[in-house]
Amino acid sequence: MARWQFRPPVERYRGGFRLNLDDEERDLVRRLLAEMQQLLVGSSDNPALARVFPAAYHLPEHAEHDAEYQRLMREELVASRLTGILMVSAALDAKPPLNEGQMSALMQGLNGLRLVLGTVLDVSEDDDPAEVTDDHPQVGEFQLYGFLSWLLEWTVRAMTET
Amino acid sequence: MPTEVEAPTGDTTTSPDRPWVVLVWNDPINLMSYVTFVLQKVFGYSLEKATQLMLDVHEKGRAAVSSGTREKAELDVFRLHEHGLWATMQQDD
Repeated sequence: MARWQFRPPVERYRGGFRLNLDDEERDLVRRLLAEMQQLLVGSSDNPALARVFPAAYHLPEHAEHDAEYQRLMREELVASRLTGILMVSAALDAKPPLNEGQMSALMQGLNGLRLVLGTVLDVSEDDDPAEVTDDHPQVGEFQLYGFLSWLLEWTVRAMTET
Repeated sequence: MPTEVEAPTGDTTTSPDRPWVVLVWNDPINLMSYVTFVLQKVFGYSLEKATQLMLDVHEKGRAAVSSGTREKAELDVFRLHEHGLWATMQQDD
């Protein structure tokens, strides 16, 4: 009798973490991160980035403060995200165990991709990517969004385990 | 990461006495588990406290997650933005 054992995509391993992803999945994450890199260094008013760079001051009377925040901090946010992407790219090729810092970068990177894709797809709280039918014009993007959510959920779960 | 921000000058809209509060707003993208984890990581909150704040965000639309001087609040907002949370700040009423 065969024994089938479930392997989560991310798990604790030898004092660190291990990604149980196949080559196709690793390539997919790499490709998406490369696209994110292009977005981050591209036009700053790209609507796809709205959730990646939100306002810091939401009240109209603090508009000047917000302009100042965007001027001082946006570059820092871009730099922080670009560094994270490089860390994740390296981690995808690294021999496990991966450390906490690499996992944090993975977590933030996956979430950044979800922010962009979720903004483009204009998802709502009740949207379930699994319910999008094959004839939906954006079925591919919704599947991608579902994949990223699945991987992020497992990443958070592995990091929360003590 | 910068630890200092420019001091407000010639400012009539803010008062230096009242603390600033950092708010996290509900959004349809961020996962509940992720938001809880980020609040623990950024602020060192317990799982219980972070979970309660996350539920407040989810159910009430927003929650105050930290407070302090304008400089501290701005740094907290920045760290939450680094993690993709929808965070803003305002002066306490």
